[in-house]
Amino acid sequence: MIYAALGLVALIAVAMRAAGVEQMPALQNLYLIPVLWAAFARGTLGGILAGLEAGLVQSLSIFPFIERVGLSWPALGGVLSLSTPFSLGLMVGRLVDRSRGRDAQLDALLSIQRSLADSASLADRLNAVAELTRAALGVDRVRLVLETGHDASVAASAPTNFRPAELTPSAGATPCRRLVLGLDAGQGPVGALIIERDGDISATTRGLANALALHLSLALENARLTERQRHFAQELEEKVAGATRRLRELDQAKNEFLSVASHELRTPLTALQGFSELLLTRDVPPDRARRYLGHLQTESQRLGRIVGDLLDLSRIESGRGPTLQRVSVDLCAIIEANIEIFASQHPRHQFEWKVGTTLPPLCADRDAVDRILKNLLSNAIKYSPRGGRVRVEAGSATDRPEMVEFTVEDDGVGIPADALPRIFDPYVRIANPETAAAPGLGLGLSLVRGLAHAHGGSVEVESLPGKGSRFRVLLPR
Amino acid sequence: MSLLIHRFVSDRVARPSAIGWQLLLVAAAAGGLSGVGFAVDSAVGIERKLGHALASGAVHAGFLAMGWVLAFQARAGWSGPALRETSALIVASVVSRLSPAGAIAYLFIPLVVARDAAGWPTRLERIGWRWPREGRATLIGAASGVCLGLHLLFAASLMLGYHVEMPEARRYLAAVAYDIGANALTAEWLFRGAIFSALWRRWSFWPAAVASTALSLIRYLFDPALPQTAELIAGAMFYTLLLGLGSCALRAWSGSLLPGYLATVLFFAAYRVLLV
Repeated sequence: MIYAALGLVALIAVAMRAAGVEQMPALQNLYLIPVLWAAFARGTLGGILAGLEAGLVQSLSIFPFIERVGLSWPALGGVLSLSTPFSLGLMVGRLVDRSRGRDAQLDALLSIQRSLADSASLADRLNAVAELTRAALGVDRVRLVLETGHDASVAASAPTNFRPAELTPSAGATPCRRLVLGLDAGQGPVGALIIERDGDISATTRGLANALALHLSLALENARLTERQRHFAQELEEKVAGATRRLRELDQAKNEFLSVASHELRTPLTALQGFSELLLTRDVPPDRARRYLGHLQTESQRLGRIVGDLLDLSRIESGRGPTLQRVSVDLCAIIEANIEIFASQHPRHQFEWKVGTTLPPLCADRDAVDRILKNLLSNAIKYSPRGGRVRVEAGSATDRPEMVEFTVEDDGVGIPADALPRIFDPYVRIANPETAAAPGLGLGLSLVRGLAHAHGGSVEVESLPGKGSRFRVLLPR
Repeated sequence: MSLLIHRFVSDRVARPSAIGWQLLLVAAAAGGLSGVGFAVDSAVGIERKLGHALASGAVHAGFLAMGWVLAFQARAGWSGPALRETSALIVASVVSRLSPAGAIAYLFIPLVVARDAAGWPTRLERIGWRWPREGRATLIGAASGVCLGLHLLFAASLMLGYHVEMPEARRYLAAVAYDIGANALTAEWLFRGAIFSALWRRWSFWPAAVASTALSLIRYLFDPALPQTAELIAGAMFYTLLLGLGSCALRAWSGSLLPGYLATVLFFAAYRVLLV
C-alpha cells in the first residue's frame, strides 16, 4: 500500500512536470492525496515517508523559484507549501496511530478481561495478561506485580524471564525506557505495571499504558474479589460439609450410645428381675437365697455405677463439674486395694504396681481418685482380651514437681494414632474386632479426664497399636 | 510497595563539569592548531597552503576527540586514541594537500578509529559503534544517501541550471576519500554518535535529533570549504537537515552509526560531482 502511495507521488510529479504546471499552487495540493493515503495506510511512518517524498519532489520546482525571487514573502509561501505534505502526513499519521492505539487498547482490554475471568490459576492468568499488555502497547518487556495481602505478591512477566530488579541505566546502543505505573482501583494500591522499551515510549503509548493500568486495576480488583468470593464459597462449603459430617458422627454416636446404654442397663436389670422373681415365686434354700441376694447387690451396684457415671458426665458436660471433697489421700493404699480387687477378678492378667519412695501426699477427692484408677484399670483389662501385664506406678512427676502422677500401662491392643485425639470424647469407643464384645458406654476415659480436670490436673496417653497403651494422670498435690 | 520505592539511577551524564572542561580543552587545542595553521600560511605564504591542511585536520580531529570525551564521560582512556587519530588526520590532510593521490591516507582513518574502538566495545556501543541490528538498515542508509544525492543533482542541474559533469577522476576520488575518512566519519562520530546518543538518553527522539542536527548545521555553516552564496547555503542547510534527521532515525532504528555514515558518504559523493 505504501509503495503504491510513494509511486503515486512520483507519478503526479512526472505528470505535472510534463504538463508544465508544477509551479501552480492549487495543483500542488494533489500531492496531499497520496500523502493522506499513506498516512491512513501506515500511520506516522507512511505519512512521514510520503510527505518527505512529496516535499523533495516539490523542492525541485520551488528551489529555482526561491532563487529567482530571492528571500521574499512568495519564497516563504513556497517553503510553506514544501513543508505542507510532510506536516500533514505527520499529523494525520499520528492521529491514525492514536486511533489504532485506542482500537488496540479496547481489544486488549476485552482480551485481558477474558483472560482474568478464566478459570486458570492466578499466576497463569497474570502471565496471559502480561503478554496481552505487551502486544497492546508494543513494548519490549512487561511485568505485572499484584499484591495478594500479608506481604505476599504474585508476579508475571512477558517475556517470562524479565526481572526488573533495579532501575539502572542501559549500557546498550539504544536507551531503555521504563515506566512504572501503580495499579489502584480507588481502594489503595493493588499492584504495579512495569513496561520497558528499547527506544522511546511515545506519549501515545504512555497514555495507553495509563488507561490500560486503570482498566487493569479494576479488572484485577474484580478478579481478586471473584477469587476471594470463590475462596469464601469453598471455605463455607467445607465448613458445612464438616458440620454435616460431625452431625452425622454425633447422630451415629447417639444411636450407638442408645444401643449400648440400653444393653448395659438391661443386663443388670434382667439379673435384678430374674433373681427377685425367683426369690418371690419359689422356695429358695437360704444359702442359695443368700447367693441370689449377693448377685442382686452386685448388679444393683453395677447399675448404680452406670447411672452415676452418666450423671457425673452430664454434670461435667454442662460445665458444673463434680463436687469434690478434698482430703489427704493415701494413693498407695488406693492402688493396693484396687490391684487386689482386679487381680482377684481377672486371674489371666498379671498385675504389677510400684510406688515411688518419695510419693508426696495428695490432697484430692478420694472417691474421684478411686474412680479414675478403676476406670483406667478396667480399660486396661477390657482392651487386653488375651491377658497380659498391667502395671501401675505412682510418684512425684519428674517434669512437673508440683504434681503427683500415676500411670496405668497394659500390653493390650493399643489405639490407632488417628483415634487418639477422640478417645477422651464421651460415647466414643474405638472399633477393634478383638474388643468389640467388651461391655461399656464409652464414658470411662471421658470421666477420667473430667475428674482430672476438676482437680486441676490432666491425663496423657501414649499408645502403639498391637503393643499396648500407657495412661498418665497428673494431679496437683 | 517495595517495587515502587526501588532506587532509581537516572541515565544522566556523569560528571558534567569534568566533561565540559575536557571538551573545552579539546576545542582549545583544535582551535589552537587551526590558528597556527592559518598563521603559518599567512606569514610564510606556502603555496600549497599546508597550514590550511593542518587546520582542517585539527578541526576534524577535534570532532573525533570530542566524541571520545563524550563516549568516555570524562573517564581516563580517551586521550590516547584521540592523539593517535589527530596525528593520523593531520598527516592525511597534509599529504592529500601535497598530492590528490595522497588522499588515500584518509582511507586509513576509519581503520585507525576501528582499531582504537576495538579496545572499548562496551563504552562505544553506547554511541552506536556496532553493527546494525538488521542488515537491511545498511541498505536503507545507502538508498537514502543515493536518493538525496540524486535529488541534489536533479535540483542543481535541471532546476537551478548548474552544470553537472563528472570531474577529473583523481580529484573526485580524493574528495570522496576526504568524505570517507574525515568529513562523514567525524560528523557521524560526533553529532549522531556522541551528541545524539547522549541527548537521546535524557530526552525522547525528536528533541535529541533536532538538537544534534542543529549543531551539525552550525558546523557546516562555519565550514570555509562551503561556497558562501545564499542559494548554496540554503540548499546545504536543507540537505544537511534531511541528512541529519535521517541519520538520527537510522541510528535510533538500527542502533548503529553505519547506515547514517553510508548515507552521508553517498550523498557527499553526489555533491562532489557538482562542486569539485
